[in-house]
Amino acid sequence: MGIRVEVEGGSRLRQAAQRAGVSIDSICGERATCGKCRIVVQEGEFPRENLRSSRDHLAPPGPAEHSYWKKRKKGLQAQGEDPEAYRLSCQAEVCGDLVVMVPETSRAAHQIVRKAAGERSIQIRPIQRKIYVELPAPTLADPQADWERLVRHLRLAEPLTRGPNDFRVDFEALTIDLPALRQLQATVRAGDGKVTVTIRDGREVLRVEPGFSEVLAGLAVDIGTTSIVAHLSDLRSGELLATADTMNPQIRFGEDIMSRMAFANDHEDGFKQLHTALLESLNRLARRAARQAGMKAGQITELVIVGNPVMTQFLLGIHTAELGRAPYVPAVHAGLDVRARDVGLSAVHPGAYIHLLPISASFIGGDAMGVLLAEAPHDQDEIWLLVDVGTNAELVLGSRERLVCTSTPTGPAFEGAHIEYGMRAAEGAIERVRVEPDTRAAQYRVVGSELWSGDPGAPAARGICGTGIIEAIAEMVRTGLVRPDGRFNLDLPSPNWRTEGDMHRFVLASGGENPAGIEIPITQEDVRQIQLAKAPLYVAARYLLERLEIDRPDRILLAGGFGSHIDPEKAMLIGMIPDCPLDRVRPVGNAAGDGARIALLNRDKRAEAAELAARLERIELPAQAGFQDQFTLALHFPHMLDPYPSLGDRVPPRTVDPMVARLFGDRIPTFGAQKPGTEATPDQATTPE
Amino acid sequence: MSELQEYLEDVMNAIIEGDADWAREACTEALEKEVDPLQILNDGLMAGADVVGQKFESGEFFLPQLMLTGRALKAAMAVIEPRLQSIYAENEDLKGDTGVVVMATVKTDIHDIGKNIVASMLTASGFTVHDLGVDVPIKSIIAKAQEVDANIIGCSALLTTSMPFMRDLVNLLEAMGERARFKVMVGGASVTPEFAEKIGADGTAPNAVKAVQLAQQLIRNQRAEKEAGT
Repeated sequence: MGIRVEVEGGSRLRQAAQRAGVSIDSICGERATCGKCRIVVQEGEFPRENLRSSRDHLAPPGPAEHSYWKKRKKGLQAQGEDPEAYRLSCQAEVCGDLVVMVPETSRAAHQIVRKAAGERSIQIRPIQRKIYVELPAPTLADPQADWERLVRHLRLAEPLTRGPNDFRVDFEALTIDLPALRQLQATVRAGDGKVTVTIRDGREVLRVEPGFSEVLAGLAVDIGTTSIVAHLSDLRSGELLATADTMNPQIRFGEDIMSRMAFANDHEDGFKQLHTALLESLNRLARRAARQAGMKAGQITELVIVGNPVMTQFLLGIHTAELGRAPYVPAVHAGLDVRARDVGLSAVHPGAYIHLLPISASFIGGDAMGVLLAEAPHDQDEIWLLVDVGTNAELVLGSRERLVCTSTPTGPAFEGAHIEYGMRAAEGAIERVRVEPDTRAAQYRVVGSELWSGDPGAPAARGICGTGIIEAIAEMVRTGLVRPDGRFNLDLPSPNWRTEGDMHRFVLASGGENPAGIEIPITQEDVRQIQLAKAPLYVAARYLLERLEIDRPDRILLAGGFGSHIDPEKAMLIGMIPDCPLDRVRPVGNAAGDGARIALLNRDKRAEAAELAARLERIELPAQAGFQDQFTLALHFPHMLDPYPSLGDRVPPRTVDPMVARLFGDRIPTFGAQKPGTEATPDQATTPE
Repeated sequence: MSELQEYLEDVMNAIIEGDADWAREACTEALEKEVDPLQILNDGLMAGADVVGQKFESGEFFLPQLMLTGRALKAAMAVIEPRLQSIYAENEDLKGDTGVVVMATVKTDIHDIGKNIVASMLTASGFTVHDLGVDVPIKSIIAKAQEVDANIIGCSALLTTSMPFMRDLVNLLEAMGERARFKVMVGGASVTPEFAEKIGADGTAPNAVKAVQLAQQLIRNQRAEKEAGT
């Protein structure tokens, strides 16, 4: 790194580095136990620095360090490493010129890079620390209690083990969790006085283990309505140790959150069943993630769980009745620290904490907060629109200046419900559709295959998922098979049309050609369902844009499992989202889960979430005048009036429907047109004669 | 085609097109030519609404067309209503299948687009509609129905969690001994005929046009029950 420092002969290397501003890790408080401080001495001449560096310029290892390396010699050799290359910087004494390389793993300030989204790095500032201490055995002359004896030695070790990103232990406030205290005397004696202590947030000892232990594991969980994803991370390095996912077991009580809340209201024990199913599933998930990483779930001492307010209350055992009825009030808005054992999460360590991100509005929950933490629109000069689409859609618009948010029910149509062969995005579900512009023949691709229908060996289609429906309708809009008002255009021939009486279907997979032997059609009713689902989403976005007095966002981020699979162009063609240059529309994958991980690894982000929650300005849609008019205009593909320059000629020409003039007369509702000082663009909102 | 047929067809087409100005003019003209106002209502307005309903069912028409038709019906009714009233004043039996409806989105729900369309279509079809808005306690709905001596109570809920309040409304009517006095229609995106039957409502409809037909049917049933009762 090129940092130079001059030190006195005999100085310990770690302390010398500290003086030069380079923090080297240590859990054991310089007792040659943890090995976190290992460094490599470079051999040879360094003409630019005008020095010669050699291992011999460090004093030979003392007994403690010698014993540390002796135990690991074979292991290092097996990994192809030279055991002689390493030294423990907490022990090694400087006696000559040295060029020292501090490996990434030995640096006290960790950061990891999220590759998925914008290459942003996460500072690792964990909320827990491990400190190793060696306690002298009590005697009749020194009969101090075990806890006080532990604190006495923690005071000595704490400054030595504190990295620049670690909290400072507040010894005046320090307490110990009762289950840990119950075990304390036995643990100290089992370790022959040597113990490793886990401290949370500077004030509480959660766990005492015999001997040296460096595992500090945390679990970030995103509870979605459909699936649950858990990321197991090393809290100290930030390293991702395992990822496990599962279906949300509550699905058997209802597909969407509204029907689950209805189940909780209508059945005796209904709420309890939903709560228990969720907890059992989380316990299994924690065990599975731990097993993948070669550890026990009991090692997990910190969790961050995100979910919408309904899921959060199911988790905490707070009845959801009030969330299901106007004015839709949650039990708590603030971020929370709760004991995993109080919630009933028994698989993890008994002292483990769960942190829940704050809720900023009834339907803008911890999951949306996770998305915000991960994507950080509040750090941008540009104005970003975040759309998290599910049965309920949450939208946030803004920049570092100001953030506005709202939410709207979209209904289950986007998730394939109400559609005959609608299914989740599982194997065999149609997820991609293309319509050839000249012949208007449709082809599809199913989840888990790269082959298009008609290709040799293309797998069977068992149904169609939400993305597949949107792709199909967008392609039909693009090729004119569906008119902007949503009607099938039967004047345009296509080999996929089927007609019985006056009912028409656009058949993607026909019974004869589909190896599954079933026919999967798009019906007129399917198109209508998608119109009803996408219109409120668009209107919500427009109200937010209007609030910030802009015509379009600089960027659109599509979050949620559904959003991450959707093709931005298709989403725009059907008018789910407002206009924006296509290369600036980006799916952000499981951003809620990433946000949970960020809050798990960096304690400051929890405070940041609290600030964000307070800053978000919430806009209630149905309270806005003209919602119904806007809804009607937004039923069109992509919209009855609003221009979509970014789609160019991919959107068929829209003439202003004479119906509009009659529906709205001379008061065609346009956003922004009433704003003083702004002029409508030529193709926008001209009243037809 | 007879001249009479032409006038009625003109009214019907204005309704199908959803053209309020045309509907107003067509009705005015038909009245000037002394076409029977009851015939304008049944063979013009209602016939047009039926066609719109069929087109909606087949997917050819959608919400905007329903809204337009609602407005055209309203404009047409404004023209013929005074004449209808004087006819009804002479002969109550000619009043046809209309009555008084109290409508609301039930307590805990605030979604009203569907309810508003149904309310406007009912008004347009000659019903007297008292729309109480959204998030309305069931007691207030019943009190209003008693106050205006309604024939029908129409309530709506989009959210699955709010649907039980419609069941509560039926139960409360029972408890008050008022169930026989009012017909109860329920609606909303998640409401099914099975749900309506389960909670003891008198019916539900999948769209606004069907809702008007249902309301007319309920009025007929109510009248038949009263006759049987007296």
